[in-house]
Amino acid sequence: MDEQNLEIEYPERLVVASSPHIRHKDTTAYLMLQVILALTPALIFGIVLAFTVGWRYGLNALILTVVCMAGSVFFEWLYEKITRRPVTVRDLSALLTGMLLAMNLPITLHPFYALLGSAFAIIVAKQLFGGLGRNFVNPALAARIFLVISFVSAMSGDAYPMLDGTAGATPLVLIKTGQIAELSLMKMFVGVCPGTLGEVSAMLLLLGGLYLIFARVISWHIPVAYIGTVALITYIFPQTGGYFDLRFMAASILSGGLMLGAFFMATDYVTSPTAPRARLVYGVLCGLLTVFIRYFCGAPEGVSYSILICNLLVYYLDRFLRPRRFGQKRGKKA
Amino acid sequence: MAKTFRGGVHVEEHKNTERMRTVRMPAPHTVSIPLSQHIGAPVQPLVAVGDRVLRGQCIGDLAEGLCAPVHSSVSGTVKAIEMKPSARGIPVQHIVIENDGEDELCPSIAPKERSLAETAPEQIVKIVRDAGVAGMGGATFPTHAKIASAIGRVNTIIVNGAECEPYITANHRLMQEHPEAVVGGARVLMHALGLSKAILAVEDNKPSVIQIFKGLTWDMDDISVAALKTKYPQGDERQLIYALTGKELPVGKLPADVGCVIFNAETVSSIYRAFNTDQPVIERIVTVDGDCVRTPQNLSVPIGTSYRDVIEFCGGLVKTPRRLISGGPMMGAAQWDVDGVVTKGTSAILLFSEEQSYSYEHGSCIHCGRCVKGCPMHLMPNYIAAYARRRDYESAELYGAKGCVECGSCSYVCPAHVPIVQYVRVAKTALAAKQKE
Repeated sequence: MDEQNLEIEYPERLVVASSPHIRHKDTTAYLMLQVILALTPALIFGIVLAFTVGWRYGLNALILTVVCMAGSVFFEWLYEKITRRPVTVRDLSALLTGMLLAMNLPITLHPFYALLGSAFAIIVAKQLFGGLGRNFVNPALAARIFLVISFVSAMSGDAYPMLDGTAGATPLVLIKTGQIAELSLMKMFVGVCPGTLGEVSAMLLLLGGLYLIFARVISWHIPVAYIGTVALITYIFPQTGGYFDLRFMAASILSGGLMLGAFFMATDYVTSPTAPRARLVYGVLCGLLTVFIRYFCGAPEGVSYSILICNLLVYYLDRFLRPRRFGQKRGKKA
Repeated sequence: MAKTFRGGVHVEEHKNTERMRTVRMPAPHTVSIPLSQHIGAPVQPLVAVGDRVLRGQCIGDLAEGLCAPVHSSVSGTVKAIEMKPSARGIPVQHIVIENDGEDELCPSIAPKERSLAETAPEQIVKIVRDAGVAGMGGATFPTHAKIASAIGRVNTIIVNGAECEPYITANHRLMQEHPEAVVGGARVLMHALGLSKAILAVEDNKPSVIQIFKGLTWDMDDISVAALKTKYPQGDERQLIYALTGKELPVGKLPADVGCVIFNAETVSSIYRAFNTDQPVIERIVTVDGDCVRTPQNLSVPIGTSYRDVIEFCGGLVKTPRRLISGGPMMGAAQWDVDGVVTKGTSAILLFSEEQSYSYEHGSCIHCGRCVKGCPMHLMPNYIAAYARRRDYESAELYGAKGCVECGSCSYVCPAHVPIVQYVRVAKTALAAKQKE
């Protein structure tokens, strides 16, 4: 063996490049994969729950998931082929967008709308702005809002069947109409309640989110600030009247996809701030808007809108809340 | 709790050679000694082609100006004095000496009966200068000038044994094998600077060294041992000062401005040797590692030995190297020539194959914020890089371009493989050029 190795010659050319010469093993695709894995239990739970409502619902949930994920990847590929850009479907970000979109849809939705949503998410919200890293709103959320606005009845609360198969109100609607007493907090936590495909199980979303924090895929700032703000306001000023209502607070943070939004959508890298202080402020703003929309607007749900609105502020948050430079006096701007 | 700073990155350590004793490499057939191995003016040759020189003899010096004299690492005959590019690509005169194998030491290098208490600070500065000591951590600032400028201005001496770069264990082995030289050198420095406080700073991935230092200094009130958290760039002077004193050294200021002066561990041991025997810096410890080297190890290498001779001494290649790095993988310089030479600042020679080298695909920034979290200077490298790419250097400065110390943490952690620090360097250079106008 040694004899052979002795023949290795010195190369004629060496690569001269700027330092550093090594790098961390994590890649964009790896991070996206981590998020996908963290979402998977909640998604599977949603599909299984749909099957327990009725096999038609279950099958539809499964089809929605496949259509969204495959559709998003397809549209990304298609757009990049047409515009002759390098195909980037391998970075898994389109797959993740599709997954998030599916989880934000009611299980009664016709798959055609899901396909339309995928096209909107990938082509309009993402690729028209330059592709990964250059979109300024979360594509999955933009697509959800697009569908909510365009197809009101298909996306409305009537579309959420109860466990016995009849149409029912989501916990948020019950809260809004003052029927909070009818809610079982435990069922909401585990996820046995009506809601969109992926938002029902607060517990599995929480576990997935905690995994992402401990795996250092996302930082704690946004989810803690977001959920903390919602919890604080709903605790002190419950909509049920009076002050300091723990039960109302619990129902508020367990419902309406707050977990999904706080851990998986508000933390979307591309459309959230990078400075630690900016992340905290961003989380607080998302929380404030969510509660305001739930309290004062016609729509029962505020998570999607509030994140989308805060997406627009990211550049300014990062710019004005950038970290104090090392060695710079406190309070002094560079 | 180990002391540390905010920011920074955890880098895979690869301290493969930390348990291997330093081996003394015999001087090669010829050495090629650069006349500029330090920051400052290149020295002028004191010998001519054909002259016989002794090991340790001064062969290059300058009457005035910031410099560190250069000495021959072998005894033999001067074959040529020629211009060649240095490790950083700048043309530098090299004195090529053919080794006669006699290993005849310059007679001035012998044990001296010096008493530290009776030696004046100016005399120590002169001894250090004559020994040609320059910062051996890689910065290569002439040490005598650092001592002279620090006299009366500082209150703390920090001996930097952090060695936060991956792969490199040269300081580790030195501190383990010759701890008395490090402690002794610290004493010489304390005397020269008239101080009664020195800190030996070591990252906590070297517990054996911390143990040895604590054993050696247990009865000394004036020398303390500090364990630092293992994190890159812990050995950077700003992060080191912050970890040990809590003071933040702003960009553009020197450690002396906050009362500190920092010396690399090997520099300190060179000072000790110079004080005791007048031995100049004619060899240094070099970590040879990387997946292409047959026997990775630490070598005591004569200055002026070519990379090729060092690699051959380590048993040659086992894979075709794609990169040859002088220094650590985070901040070292990639070399284009295996015939480049070891200088006073060469802490490591690393040979990486294709598989271990950075690939060049350049993804899109996804704003994950890892570079912001990892920046030890608390800048926003993502925005600096984005603006530098658009040649908007004013905006790049808003996010801290000028404050960059080029440690490379941002590029290291970037999941999209954006060469962030390279963009920041572009912005820095452009801003500096603009300032000059």
